[in-house]
Amino acid sequence: MFNPENLIRKGLPKGHFKDLVVRFVLAGLTYVVVLIAALLFAKIIMDGAPVLFKAKAPFVDFEFLTAKNETLHVFDDAQGNRHQLPASRYNDYLAKYEGAPIFNEQTYSYSGGGIAGPIVGTALLTIGSMVLALFFGVAAAIYLSEYAKQSPFIHAIRLAILNLAGIPSIVFGLFGFSVFVLAVPVITPTPSDRSLLTIPLHINHYVMSFQGWNSSLMAGCATLACMILPVIITASEESLRAVPQGFRDASLAMGATRWQTIRKCVLPFSLPGILTSSLLAITRVAGETAPIMFTAAVAAKDDLPWQGLKSPFDILSSQVQALPYHIYTLAARIPSSEYTRRAQYGSVFVFLLLVASLSVGSMILRAKLRSKLKW
Amino acid sequence: MSPEENPSDLAPHRFQKRGFSYERAIKYFFASNAGLTIVILALIIIFLLKEGLGFFPGYQRELQVYRIAGLEFVDISRKNLTAHEQLTSVLNRAYYAEINGRCIKQMRRSQEASALFNAYTDQTGPTRDLVLNNSQAASSPNSEMLKNLKANYEQQKAKALASLTATPHLTQMERRDLIESVRSRAVNDTDDPLFVTTLAEEFTAAQHKQAEPLQALRSTIDSFSSAGSELSSLVSEMTESVIATKEKIQGADILEKDRKTLLAAASGAKDPVEREKLMTEARTSLADKPDVEGPIQLLLEHRPDCIKAHTALRDASTRIIGQLPSSLTQLEAARLLKAARHSWPFFIADLEKTPAAINAWKPDAPVPLTDSISSFLTGKDWVTGGEWQDFYGILPLAAGSLMISIVALVLAIPTGIGAAVYVNQFASPWEQSVVKPIIEFIQAIPSVVLGFIGILVFGTVLRDISLWDSLQWIPGFPLEERLNIFTAGCLLALMSIPTIFSLAEDAINNVPSAYAEASEALGASQVQTTFRVVIPAAFSGILAAVLLGFGRVIGETMVVLLVAGNRIKIPDFTAGLGTFFQPCHTLTGIIAQELGEVPMGSVHYRALFVVGILLFAVVLTINATAHRFVNKMKH
Amino acid sequence: MVKTSTAIQINNLSFAYGAKQVLHDVSLEIPARQVTAFIGPSGCGKSTLLRCFNRINDRIPGAKLTAGSILVHDIDINRTDIDLQELRRRIGMVFQKYNPFAKSIYDNVAFSLRAAGRTKRSVLDGIVENALKNAALWDEVKSRLHASAFGLSGGQQQRLCIARAIANQPEILLMDEPCAALDPLATLKIEELLSELKKQYTIIIVTHNLAQATRCSDNTAFMYLGKVIEYGSTMQLFENPKEPQTEAYVTGKFG
Repeated sequence: MFNPENLIRKGLPKGHFKDLVVRFVLAGLTYVVVLIAALLFAKIIMDGAPVLFKAKAPFVDFEFLTAKNETLHVFDDAQGNRHQLPASRYNDYLAKYEGAPIFNEQTYSYSGGGIAGPIVGTALLTIGSMVLALFFGVAAAIYLSEYAKQSPFIHAIRLAILNLAGIPSIVFGLFGFSVFVLAVPVITPTPSDRSLLTIPLHINHYVMSFQGWNSSLMAGCATLACMILPVIITASEESLRAVPQGFRDASLAMGATRWQTIRKCVLPFSLPGILTSSLLAITRVAGETAPIMFTAAVAAKDDLPWQGLKSPFDILSSQVQALPYHIYTLAARIPSSEYTRRAQYGSVFVFLLLVASLSVGSMILRAKLRSKLKW
Repeated sequence: MSPEENPSDLAPHRFQKRGFSYERAIKYFFASNAGLTIVILALIIIFLLKEGLGFFPGYQRELQVYRIAGLEFVDISRKNLTAHEQLTSVLNRAYYAEINGRCIKQMRRSQEASALFNAYTDQTGPTRDLVLNNSQAASSPNSEMLKNLKANYEQQKAKALASLTATPHLTQMERRDLIESVRSRAVNDTDDPLFVTTLAEEFTAAQHKQAEPLQALRSTIDSFSSAGSELSSLVSEMTESVIATKEKIQGADILEKDRKTLLAAASGAKDPVEREKLMTEARTSLADKPDVEGPIQLLLEHRPDCIKAHTALRDASTRIIGQLPSSLTQLEAARLLKAARHSWPFFIADLEKTPAAINAWKPDAPVPLTDSISSFLTGKDWVTGGEWQDFYGILPLAAGSLMISIVALVLAIPTGIGAAVYVNQFASPWEQSVVKPIIEFIQAIPSVVLGFIGILVFGTVLRDISLWDSLQWIPGFPLEERLNIFTAGCLLALMSIPTIFSLAEDAINNVPSAYAEASEALGASQVQTTFRVVIPAAFSGILAAVLLGFGRVIGETMVVLLVAGNRIKIPDFTAGLGTFFQPCHTLTGIIAQELGEVPMGSVHYRALFVVGILLFAVVLTINATAHRFVNKMKH
Repeated sequence: MVKTSTAIQINNLSFAYGAKQVLHDVSLEIPARQVTAFIGPSGCGKSTLLRCFNRINDRIPGAKLTAGSILVHDIDINRTDIDLQELRRRIGMVFQKYNPFAKSIYDNVAFSLRAAGRTKRSVLDGIVENALKNAALWDEVKSRLHASAFGLSGGQQQRLCIARAIANQPEILLMDEPCAALDPLATLKIEELLSELKKQYTIIIVTHNLAQATRCSDNTAFMYLGKVIEYGSTMQLFENPKEPQTEAYVTGKFG
């Protein structure tokens, strides 16, 4: 029978040891992940930060950020001094000391100069794809959250979004290559041989030729936009739905049309949320390599994207360097040596800094948003 | 301003809708944007199929050529020859492992001494060359410069000597003497130090000494090795002839294709003269049907020789297995010998089956389309760009992808779920606010950065660890390859942990707190509550998290491309757990690596698209299953 | 008020969620083997008080006892060396919204026994049957003991929760508005069950339903703004309340 004294335990609670072990193991698993992440960042920061930052003013090595990417020449001069010069300065050196002997010359591809080309290329790709994805994505989200009712069409759209979100990035690469690089229509007087279909337009011999945009900034942006579209749609729809139904009801009740309601009473309140989540989408777009490998990226390019163009629009149809692809090149195609470390770790550090600031930015914005927008 | 507000627009009734309005246009605009997702998905499917489906007929033709040119016939024998060579190499490795194992001390000492000296020369070499180059150019009066160079050299030398590798198997004395002898070397002395050569000689002497009792084994291996020479010469003779036939057929194929293009152009040409010209051109280019009968008959005449060679080899092999020692004294040697003994019966069985296969082979047997499909799905070789024959068998790639996923999931599932359980159930709010953002931030690391870490840091660290003596009991250690299934799996685990973590955490968080409350009110402890009530209730959500993690792992490209080692071969499963330390290639990696290099429209190009289709199907199936679990949880 | 032995004695209890003081200086004596009802308007602290008895409030971050003590059969349950699991096994609880686990009926009832380390099947079978019989559920579920608990009706699920709570033979049964989520018929069944159960258990029930309090309880405490305004036998409290607030509440002037 019930004995109140039993409520008082003698010694440690029953199963105390087992509980402790379980907690300890789970905590261990958690902190192992945290520790690995910390080690990873520490390694990159320790090796990469010295490339970008200096002990002396102005503390930042702007040259690394603003110079073109070139081949690195390493050699000794007759005095036994070791020189490390990027290709352009190497040629200057040769011209200046004509005939002076050079010893132990070695060259390292992609390791000289800075990473201006990849940075600008990634920026262009990101901006282009985000503009496309935000335009189509937000519009689609407005339809889904404001207009859509249960229908087979909506069901199909939701299924498509779900499936698009799961497709591996390399398949988007294949898709971008076969569609944007090889098949989308262009208007040109001289159709290519491999054009799938040409439609004469009867204007100065111009024809619409389904021959693709070649590997170009345009093709890359379009591919990345398709990849990120489901993310943008889902996030935007969530932000739109977070706006209380009362706002819409009030507006509609006062005789505003649906579009006026959306424009005045829904979009302004959901815009911060949409922008916050698109920051997170940017980190993904900026970090992807596989979709741009065949659609836009090039390992080495002599000019910066805006150089050597006949018209500003040519930038869209030219290939660009991109940071993630540049890092892939640096990791896979050149050996690691003391002369390539600067390029390798420097690029990764800059890239990670970029991604980290974007995602930390979005985390802070999200936190701010949550505390500010409470209805 | 919308038309409704326009007073001049007189309507039948104020509330009645008028035909077409801005409102409706806006709605359709948004709807069409939403429809874009369907269009994109459809385009993906259509274009993957468009580029991919042409693969099967193309591959069928390649297999046809493979057969009618007789390459297939030669491969019957070649397969056995390769197996024979592999066995020979395993036996040889066992032999040397035995010898070296028996004089391990001499070997280590010699290796360490030369490693030490090599480390020194690697560092001082360039500056030393400078000194030598300049002093040889004796005409150069610039003694100032020479002095500079020499000082530079001395400096480099001191630095190198200070940073020499460890030598655990040399005594302190020996090490010091060696370093001294190196220090006092003349600049132009190019010989190895005496100590290094002495140790090398000692090692060679020890090898000879140990080889003596193993003479019987040596001659057994040699006789096995030479038993294959007859088959070998036969195969190389046949190879030449069939390759010539194959080239002829391929040439004819290309001509035929060109002719068809010309004919198509001709039928499209408007100008009759032009058309006539094209037609003539097409007619003249009509290729002679290449003669395949003659060479095949010649080839088939080799049949009796082939059978004879095989029988001889089989007899020799059956005899030799009896002569092999049952075991060897050194661990590695015994393992290799065991592996050889293990595969020996299969080898002999293959040899026995071969004569029947040779006799049954027909050059004119048809190659149906299903053959190209089954050869793609179950083929064990992915060989491309070779002179002999291209094979597009998916198995090595699928095996690689799967093995990497297994490693990744074995590491990521307990960690991800464990962390989710801990953070949601046991951690203090403060811990939660620290751990969650960190784990979520891992998700933001681009995969190429992880690949970079893997190739430059993790692979090297792992290999160094695998050299530790205390870890030699782990199968596969020391690592033969820096980049392998395990390294890739570890990095992918790191990638999928955040996915599994956040989804599992969501699932656990969605379990109504009433459950946990009821459980505790019934006298269950917190741990009991977590494991008996909360986790079972969140089970389908956790399963979905694992599946989505799997989808992410199998679809990941850059990490595996950089870190998996990229060897296209089905892993050798006889190595047990050591299999996980072999390099491999993957479904995603092969697309990324080869698409940029193949001619557009070729069979190889299309094969990569078929791989893409397969990947697409697999990942979508996984995700669909996962979403079914998520929906199940909602209800 | 019928005086028997005291099951729970509450001395000057004050309780807070973080900075928010919920109970002020509550003192009560709850007699054993009787039904005691807590009534009062929403937010008056009656549920909080109930949840103090098995210390389930410990789960809520920031919840703490600021003064006073609770003695269960003369043992202070807020002592540091209390065996919390044992306490909760001795004091069963039934919640407002029926919340069986996503397990079979059998596993639901056996849950607390298994958590206590009693896993022998033959023992469990008997206890489960007994608990279900006591909860007047046995006849309805005996053919499908291993079916999911979610297949039962709302009232059945709540009775399952009662069976689950009494499987361990507790001393005291806490019921937090057990009929709030049920229809009148199911409510009637539970009330019938209560009159059976009070023979074996000390029952404390929180209810919004004044009629229910009069029907089922022997004693009633009226609470308002975290204080016990009046406490006495049910008949006296409803028919002859001493305090004007009590009178206003039981006559329906506010609440």
